[in-house]
Amino acid sequence: MSTAITNTIRKLRFERNEMTQQDLAERVGVTRQTINAIELGKYSPSLEVAFRIAVALGVRLEEVFSYGASQTPSESTR
Amino acid sequence: MSFREKSFREKSAWITLITLVLLLAFYLTHLPPPWWLRAETGGFLFHVLTLGMIAFVVIELIAHGIVVLRAPRDARAPRDEREHLIALKARSIAGRVYAILSLGSVLLVIHLGANDGGILYCLFLSFVVSQIVNYAARVVYYGRGA
Repeated sequence: MSTAITNTIRKLRFERNEMTQQDLAERVGVTRQTINAIELGKYSPSLEVAFRIAVALGVRLEEVFSYGASQTPSESTR
Repeated sequence: MSFREKSFREKSAWITLITLVLLLAFYLTHLPPPWWLRAETGGFLFHVLTLGMIAFVVIELIAHGIVVLRAPRDARAPRDEREHLIALKARSIAGRVYAILSLGSVLLVIHLGANDGGILYCLFLSFVVSQIVNYAARVVYYGRGA
């Protein structure tokens, strides 16, 4: 079940010395399987976990997550 | 994702689901209908139930013990938000199933002339089925992501 939120976690992980999902999971405080589900778009994390992922990857939140290919909810209803 | 790669709680859900299904199958194969009308079969059924529950506990302990020994770090990790959400959603469904099944089955067996033992069995079986639904839902949610 996909969500409208996309992410670049996998790409950012590989850019940081090929950080593993397990490494990232330990830094964020979730299970490896949760990181996998987020990367695959099967699960949308809470805001806190999303921020923790961004901090662990050393980037801003907007560089990790995007909503519906830059489409905002207000634009989608026009 | 292979069984080995699953999280501890997903493996635990699978173990409990399979064990509950086996327990229910074992119990039902020893349950001659119409059991809800036969007070004299109560002793036999209690014996079967006790054996089944002991087997359930033993299988759970052994299977979970194996999983913990193979991945102790996974087993010690606290439940994260996704696992909390999955457990909540599954319990919600199981609660509704229990409410419908217990009420429906009790009304049905009372209509058919059941004794108190029959009503108790309805409640017990409804509980077991609802727990099967609980763990089946967890397995599905884990497979879907949440």
